[in-house]
Parts: sequence; structure tokens; C-alpha cells
Amino acid sequence: MILDPLIGGIAMGCIYSLIALGYNMLIRAMNLLHFAQGEVMMVGALSGVTLVSALHVPYLVAIPLIMVLCAALSLALDAFAYRPIRRRNVPVINLIIATLGVSIVLSNGAILVWGAEPIRYPTIYGSGALMLGPVRLPPQFLAPLLVGGGLMVALQLFFTRSLVGIAMRAAAQDRETARLMGIDIDRTIQYTFAISGAMGGAAGALLGPIIFASFNMGEVIGIKAFVAATLGGLGSMPGAMVGGIVFGVIETFAALFISSGYKDALGYGVMIAILLVAPSGLFGRRVRA
Amino acid sequence: MGGGERGRRRLRGLALAVLLLALPWLLPQRYFLRVVDLGLVYAVLALGLQLLVGSAGQLSLGHAAFYGTGAYTSAILVRKLGLPVELSFVAGGVVAALLGLTLVPILRLRGNELAVATLGFGVIVHAVILNEEWLTEGPFGMMRIPPFQLGPLVFNTEFRFYFLGLAVVAGTYLAFRRLTRSRFGRALEAIRQSEEAAVTSGINPVLYKSKVFVIAAFTAGLAGALFAHLNRYLNPNDFTLAESINVLIMIVVGGLRSLEGAIIGAMIIVFASEYLRAFKEYRLILFGVLLVLLMALGADGLRGLPSALARRLHRG
Repeated sequence: MILDPLIGGIAMGCIYSLIALGYNMLIRAMNLLHFAQGEVMMVGALSGVTLVSALHVPYLVAIPLIMVLCAALSLALDAFAYRPIRRRNVPVINLIIATLGVSIVLSNGAILVWGAEPIRYPTIYGSGALMLGPVRLPPQFLAPLLVGGGLMVALQLFFTRSLVGIAMRAAAQDRETARLMGIDIDRTIQYTFAISGAMGGAAGALLGPIIFASFNMGEVIGIKAFVAATLGGLGSMPGAMVGGIVFGVIETFAALFISSGYKDALGYGVMIAILLVAPSGLFGRRVRA
Repeated sequence: MGGGERGRRRLRGLALAVLLLALPWLLPQRYFLRVVDLGLVYAVLALGLQLLVGSAGQLSLGHAAFYGTGAYTSAILVRKLGLPVELSFVAGGVVAALLGLTLVPILRLRGNELAVATLGFGVIVHAVILNEEWLTEGPFGMMRIPPFQLGPLVFNTEFRFYFLGLAVVAGTYLAFRRLTRSRFGRALEAIRQSEEAAVTSGINPVLYKSKVFVIAAFTAGLAGALFAHLNRYLNPNDFTLAESINVLIMIVVGGLRSLEGAIIGAMIIVFASEYLRAFKEYRLILFGVLLVLLMALGADGLRGLPSALARRLHRG
């Protein structure tokens, strides 16, 4: 009984985690609150509709394609919007507002491409649920759990085992020392944008079939994922994963037990309460100011 | 000579005051004046946020909560309890300030975490406005709010409201200018640069942050009350995260830490949002592109543009 909403909450949580990972990578690498992360996810979800419905690409093939597309989008945003601003040594709040500008451009650009009406994904999943003993696993939640979980494991391996991943962590920790070790800082920042974009794209591709895809989904989901990232600890990778899942579960149970008008508010209330006890989140480390 | 400099500055201030007072007679159309009125409301709101974000360096993403509280407080007191508008207007500021006081515990948070906590607070306040229909009339909004009134003077036209708005902006500006140049302002400056260093100079950061937070909340409440009696209709969706971000954009566009910048930024953003309407579906795309371009101007925003251009010309 209680397991069904729990599974749903964890599945939604995995999607929040993927977006939150994007936020936290960028915060860790350059202390940037990237408000357009939700819009990158939205572009992923909507291009997923185009790929699957119009071009008849199988869903499982579409997911990696969307990830590549969103990685490219994220790189382009850095190259054409953020890097020119960064070069001018402006205060970080200017950069944050520039990301808001980018998110406005993306969501309104999406209206021009895909229209303002929410779009339904073609039926991807059958209606039969997978039964694991007493646990019912509805198919639309299976993909976020498996793909989302797999991506998180892969990302963890990338950051701990691969040379590029270790270089990225080094650059995030101490830029100057990393530079002295021969790490190309600009290059690691580009990798960070590309990977955060890919994670956002994956989140969009997984979320699209659960809720309708629409130009404004980025704002609502993006802000929730951002709160999840704060809950776990801004700038922390495990924090993003755990924070996303905790937020997803809280949100699902809040919807069950609380009058609908306040269900969204509850997640934020819990977040504030947790910050009061642990000012830098569950897994927080102090980010450089 | 110092005296000559001061005299010249006084003269310039006087000229500006005369120009501002004469403005309504110079403007071409009533619609234009309505946009100016709205700009004045936002100028009050932006001034408060400038003190908090610009001077004290505390990023808030929930300012619309205090703005909305002030607006609804004043409207409810007049409509439901029949209070005179002069009183309800002040009450709007006071209730918003009290709400700000309840947030003092989260002021221990810093930087991004404080920003997200204020964001969450804004969402919660919006949910209350939306759901407590017995009090706020819920999603349909509150209608038939009377205009502002001071004794026999009723500020019920764009023309009359202009002078009310101007007076509140000028009062807030002058009060804040005094404040930022005082010991209090220097303490905020110290906290913005480094909380640790401020502590070693005997400044209690949480105390100062609380004070500036309550002042900003009070100002936002007054701005909200102004808006309620200008627009005479309130909708919960006027007080969302988008609105908090809008005010933040105003102070950054005008130039962080500058009080004049807050006023200029408010006017520019209000006018930009109104006049970009001509571009229809491209309006917001243009607004976003404009925002990205403006951010490249740096910390001084548009206020710094003339001197930067002058420097470039001088060099070239």
C-alpha cells in the first residue's frame, strides 16, 4: 500500500536528481546558479516528442540522442551567452540574471517551435505493471528508476575513475593549483556544461511521458529540482542524488495527505526546516564564496 | 571650492525636483503616465531590495512575499474592516515588516542557501494568498479596492497618483541615502565584503542583517499598498517568484548598490515590459536577449554606461 507512492516518489526523485546534478556541477565548478537548467530539460522533453512521434525513433534510442542534443545546447549557451559575460569579470549575480534571461529566451523560443499547448507523448509503455513480490512497478516509473539510476552510477564512476572526471573535480576544488598541474580550466568548464546539459536532457526525456511536455515545464520542475539540490547540499554530487529522491518522496506523500492547495508549499517548508538545522544542506560543504 | 560644489549640487537637485513635479504636464498621453505611476511603485520596491542585496549583499528571491503582504493587508483592512486608507497603507508596511521579523532565524544562512530559503518562503506566502479565500478572495483576486486618500485629497487618477508615488519614492530615497551614509550603512558594507572580518570589528552580522531585512520588508509592504490602491485590483499571480526576480533584475540593470540605479532600473524594466508588447510573441525573447546583453555591463549596470563610454572616447 505505502510502497506504491514510495516507488512513484523515488521515480520522480530520480528525475529531480538528474536536474539537480546539473545545478550542483555548475555551482561546484564556477559557483553559478544556472536557472536555465530546467529549460534545457524542457527542450529535451519537447525534442523527444518530435523524435518519437514525428521521426518514429524508438524511445530508447531517442534518450541518448536527446542527451547529445542538450549537451550541445548547453555548450552553445556557454559559448554565446555566459562566456562573453564571464570574460568581463562581472559580479556573479550578473551571471545568474543572464541565466534567467537565457531561460526566458528558451521557453519563449519553444513556444515558437512547438506551440503553447502541452503535448502528449505517444504511448510508449504498456499498461501491465512489473510485479516484484508485493511491489507494483508501473512501467512509466521503471525507466526513470533504471535509466536515471544507471546515469547516476555512470557519472559517479566518471568522476572517480576517469582522468577527465578527476581533472574536473580538481579544477572545481582549486582552480589555480589545477592550472599549475596542467589542467585546461576552460576545457573542464565546457565539459561541465556538456555533462549538465546531457543530464538535463535525460531528465526531460524521462519526464515527458509522465507529465505532458510543454514550454513552461522547465520553470516548475527546474525550481523544484533546484530546491532538491539545496536540500542535499549545493555543490555536492551525492547531495544532488539524495536531495532529489528525498524531495520526490516528500512531494508524493504530501500530495496524499495534505489539502492540494498546500502540497507544493510543504516541500519548500521542509526544505527551510532542514536548512535551519543544517545550513548547508544534508551533504553540504561550504562552497567558496 | 567646496561651497561652490555644494551650491551647484543643490541647484541641480532643485532643477531635477522642478522637472519631476512638472512631468505630468509635459507627458503626451495618459497611458504613458500610467506606466510612469507603475514605475514609481516598483522604484519603492527596488529601493528596499537594493538596500538588502546591493548594500548588505544578501540575495533574496522572495521579495514578492512582502510586496504581496503589504498589498493584501492594505486592501483587506480597507475593504473588510473599513479602516481609513491612510492607516491601512501604513499597516501594509508594518505587517510586511512583522512577517520579515519571523524570518530572522533563516538569516543565519548565507549566499545561495539564503536565496533558496527566501524563494521557498515566497512560494509558501503565495500559496497562502491563493488558498485562504475567506481572507484574500483566492485565485479570482480582490476587486473594488478604493483609491488612496489623504483627508480630502483622493488620488484616483493617473495624474494625482503620480504625486503620491513621487512623494513616497523621494521619501524612501532620501531616508535610504541617509541610512547608507551612516554608521549603519558602513556596517552593511563591511558585512557584504566579509562577514568574518565584520565580526572582528565588533559588528554583529545577524543583528544588522535582521534590521536591513525588516527595513526592506517594510518598504516592500508600502510599495505593495501603493500598488493595491493604484491598480485597485489584486491577483495572487502578481506576487510570484517571477515578480521577485523582476525586482532583482531592476536593481542589477540599474546598477547594484546605487539607490539612483534602483529607481532608473525600475523605470527601464517597467517601460521595457510595456513597450516590447508591440513585438507580440517575440516580446519575451527580446526581453531575455536584452537582459543577457545588459548583464555584460558589469556591476554598475546602465548607470555606469555613460562614464564607460566617456572613458572609451577619451582613450580612442
